[in-house]
Amino acid sequence: MSARTTSRRAFLVESMAGVGAAWFAAHYAGILEAGEFVAHAAQTGQPAVFQFFTREQALEIEAMTSQIIPTDDTPGAREAHVVQFIDRALTTFEKNQQTAYVQGLTELQAQSQKLVPGAVRFSALTSDQQIQVLTAMERTPFFNLVRTHTISGFFAHPSHGGNANKVGWKLVSYDDSLHHTPPFGYYDAQPTARR
Amino acid sequence: MMQFTPSSEVDFVVIGSGAAGGIMAKQLSLAGYSVVVLEQGGWGKYGHEQDWTKDEWVNDHPGPDDELMSDPERQPNTFRRTANDKAGPGTHSYGCVVGGGTVSYGGSSWRHLPWEFNEASTVGPIAGTGLVDWPISYAELEPYYVQAEWEMGISGERVSSPFVAPMSKDYPVPPVALKASGALMMTGASKLGLHVVRGPLAVISKDYMGRSGCVNCGMCSGFGCHVRARSSSAVTVLPIAVKTGRCEIRARSYVHEITVNSSGRVTGVVYFDANKRPVRQLAKAVVLSANGTESSRLLLLSKSAQFPNGLANSSGVVGRYLMLGNTVSASGLFEHPLNDYKGLVTGAAIVDYVPTDPKRGFYGGGRMTARGFDTPINFGLRGLQPGAPRWGAAYKKALVAEANHKMTITSFVTQLPLDTNRVDLDPDVKDAWGLPAMRITSQSHPDDIKSMEFFRQKGLDVLTAAGATKVWAGAVNDSRGSAHNRGTCRMGNDPRTSVVDKFHRAHDVPNLYIVDGSNLVTGGRNHPTMTIQALAFRAAEHLIKSAKAGTLNRSR
Repeated sequence: MSARTTSRRAFLVESMAGVGAAWFAAHYAGILEAGEFVAHAAQTGQPAVFQFFTREQALEIEAMTSQIIPTDDTPGAREAHVVQFIDRALTTFEKNQQTAYVQGLTELQAQSQKLVPGAVRFSALTSDQQIQVLTAMERTPFFNLVRTHTISGFFAHPSHGGNANKVGWKLVSYDDSLHHTPPFGYYDAQPTARR
Repeated sequence: MMQFTPSSEVDFVVIGSGAAGGIMAKQLSLAGYSVVVLEQGGWGKYGHEQDWTKDEWVNDHPGPDDELMSDPERQPNTFRRTANDKAGPGTHSYGCVVGGGTVSYGGSSWRHLPWEFNEASTVGPIAGTGLVDWPISYAELEPYYVQAEWEMGISGERVSSPFVAPMSKDYPVPPVALKASGALMMTGASKLGLHVVRGPLAVISKDYMGRSGCVNCGMCSGFGCHVRARSSSAVTVLPIAVKTGRCEIRARSYVHEITVNSSGRVTGVVYFDANKRPVRQLAKAVVLSANGTESSRLLLLSKSAQFPNGLANSSGVVGRYLMLGNTVSASGLFEHPLNDYKGLVTGAAIVDYVPTDPKRGFYGGGRMTARGFDTPINFGLRGLQPGAPRWGAAYKKALVAEANHKMTITSFVTQLPLDTNRVDLDPDVKDAWGLPAMRITSQSHPDDIKSMEFFRQKGLDVLTAAGATKVWAGAVNDSRGSAHNRGTCRMGNDPRTSVVDKFHRAHDVPNLYIVDGSNLVTGGRNHPTMTIQALAFRAAEHLIKSAKAGTLNRSR
């Protein structure tokens, strides 16, 4: 294992506190692939991955998204690459929200420091601390903007950068084939419903 | 496509290409007349419908070619409850693309019932309201309902019921597939002794008139149809009109004035083209089909020496008797998956409460529709039951538990026409072209609120009877704007109390016809499109007769 892979793995393990061990074991290769891009972008210096965020900003937003839709025994916002979706959205569909993110990140840092004096970054806090910070912020416009973008990115078509490997759609058993034949569900399949 | 020079006079300008405008364009051009259709919105995917996006994120953030509805930033409107209030930002929006609202609507195609044309006589007048009889009867309109159903392509089942309009002919195609929500509605209804009817819908269940049947993609209401199964104006009547060689459609053409000469006859229109340049199109007559709110706004914008209060507005009725459209919903969770994201938005309705019943103690009726339409992003953002966690581990758990297990009953209910509910011009707010924005003043009659409360409870009752493990319904909401807007240029025999006669001709202007939801005297049960389409076929027939007889410019 190369030094770089090790550090990627360290990044992942650090960021996935609380993940179900069984799911983690079963999906480790996939997680490594899915969850690596923030770290990967920073380590290889590939500028194309993030168009709007700096690496530090991306880590902060990614940490927020993964508290909004956490990783447990199924993939969450992190594995869905939601931060990549948001980064792309901020240079396309949601360009007008750039300022809101820059200001919001300042609010996030202030709230983190209020709760944990001396904290440098939200993403470096423990998961419990992060939840406390976000609970304090959950009525703010910034939190609700990130919530909207996180959920949108988790469930949007993968071509927009999130919902990687359709993990969002799989979570809610959504079949994206766009060509369905009845019966669609349980109740219309019952003999009494057929005509 | 035929192209006319604006400076040369065409026979007809049709303003709007939606439910009514498309039909008018087709009928007039087939009859041999030259027609220019001016559509405020863009082309959309006209002629290449396979390119309509099924991407929810793109559909929610449309670029110019994906836009389906009016843009609240470019086309703002303001709203207030009463004339004593200062209007604030409004949320009203409407179909705005070649084909209008029919390109993306749910497709419900209910006829008005015979007694809905003379409810004032049968129910009795209601003090303080504008509930009056229509100047036409159901029998007069019935042949045009048949024509609209067959020319547009409506799927449904013909039933014999006191709660459903009688039909002289079947629907051209059978009903679409029954969804799980429809099956559950049937279960609940049968326990309560109520009746469910399937369809009618402007979505073809099988191939019809060269178009292919619905593939149940699920990205339905609010999306363009990529297989041309939705029977919109854009895939039915408009291509026929264009094929005559006598009809030109101009998209991104925003009419802001209907012009008149010194004898008070319409001479044409002035519109802004895509580059916001004013263009004057001359015409022998104008058909205004811009929708139940925009048609009245355009008349009010078209002030002149002859018509200082706005065109065709000697009565002062233009803009009044607005019915925005009230709905109320109840939802429930069920043990097994419904997967109601597949298929159409709805396809089954309880019809027993369509008539008003004096025993209820208020005027009102409605239709209860079964639906479970939840596209993934929409479900994630706002699909969970009230009070559900909004983020975190518990939110994620709720997503999994509730996904595909929910259905909703949305009831479409009556709204009484009131002269105080109206469209006029906002004194302060301007649109992106510098024109006064639409101002809406609307507060439903107390009976309308009671109707919504009645249907809110009925929805909960049906869901419970169907076996829901949990039911809920939000508080009733008095509408602030909707695509079902109706009533602002009402039809009638008396020029002092109505805007158009029973053939849609403006009382004040012989060569101006107004044909759309604005003519509806009463709103039905808030399912207006089929009646608008039937009225359009009937209006076109009369207009063509007048044109052929050479009486278009003659006052009566």
